[in-house]
Amino acid sequence: MKNHLEEHEFTAAVAGLELEAATEEHLGSCVSCRRQVSAMRDVIDARLEDLEAETPDWERQRQEIMLQLPSMPATQPKRRHLWTRPLLAVAAVLVAAIGLRALWMPAPVADPGVTTELPVEQILAEVDAMLADDSIPGFELIDQGMDDAIFENGTS
Amino acid sequence: MDPSRTDLSQADDALVLRAQNGDHDAFGELVNRHQRRVWMVCRQYVGVGEADAAAQDSLVKAFTRIGDFDRRAAFSTWLTRIAINTCLDELRRRRREAIVDDDSEGDDEANLLNRVPDDDAGPEGRSMQKQAVALLAAQEKKLPPRQREIFRLRFYAEMELEEIATTLDVHVGTVKTQLHRAVHKLREELGAFR
Repeated sequence: MKNHLEEHEFTAAVAGLELEAATEEHLGSCVSCRRQVSAMRDVIDARLEDLEAETPDWERQRQEIMLQLPSMPATQPKRRHLWTRPLLAVAAVLVAAIGLRALWMPAPVADPGVTTELPVEQILAEVDAMLADDSIPGFELIDQGMDDAIFENGTS
Repeated sequence: MDPSRTDLSQADDALVLRAQNGDHDAFGELVNRHQRRVWMVCRQYVGVGEADAAAQDSLVKAFTRIGDFDRRAAFSTWLTRIAINTCLDELRRRRREAIVDDDSEGDDEANLLNRVPDDDAGPEGRSMQKQAVALLAAQEKKLPPRQREIFRLRFYAEMELEEIATTLDVHVGTVKTQLHRAVHKLREELGAFR
């Protein structure tokens, strides 16, 4: 059997906080502890009664409030149509599906028979012209060096 | 939330829907249901002299802004928040108009609460309980502002702990701790009467 309540249990009981089962059980059976809790509650309740005595005439107050109301509230609730939610869900699924497809599908193989919009012939012609131009700095050195290395190793 | 409060909250929702469309009768019913609590909350913040005006102001504001109520909290919680904000605005206004210069007062809301007018000394009587009530009223005022606020919302506005937490935008554990401390201090002060 639990001993008398400790201070924190008294305060919890007075404040109406959740009590442990053992504390509840003790309160139910111990007149002394119950009296201490109820004594404090009685004082608080009596103070509430004092406050209640100061309350206004509720009906008069209600009437005065009603007279001050505008005809309509200044703000209207944000309306969300019934079809909005399912539509958003479908859109989300579609976006997710497209994203996953883009991630998992292999990149499309280019069809050589299909012409692209790139001016390939023009680009190739420009590259050939650049390679033929000996004045492009660095090309001669690189080429020479590579040739030397090939000869020294006896490979071709 | 206990079942009766849940039922009340659901019934409130139906009235709120009608009030949002400008139905004054529906709002009148909401006033009937909640005006006592709104007054009690205002009573704790601005004192008995201004409580009626603050409560009326809060309820008229509630109708004006009822379109903003999104049902994420109970209507009573939303309304209580409006009442507290209305009272804090009133306290700010009073401070701006105050002639008395008090350097010790800061700008935070906790200090604003210190300006809540003193309650009357309470009924003077010969009975022990009346003395205890007067002592309780006096000691309440000595509590730190947050503890006093939570104590009063709990016992005089009769709010649930979760509701107080939502209204004050604090964790429910904070409410429990502060309430615990408040009751403990008051119990100590009322020791002679217990």
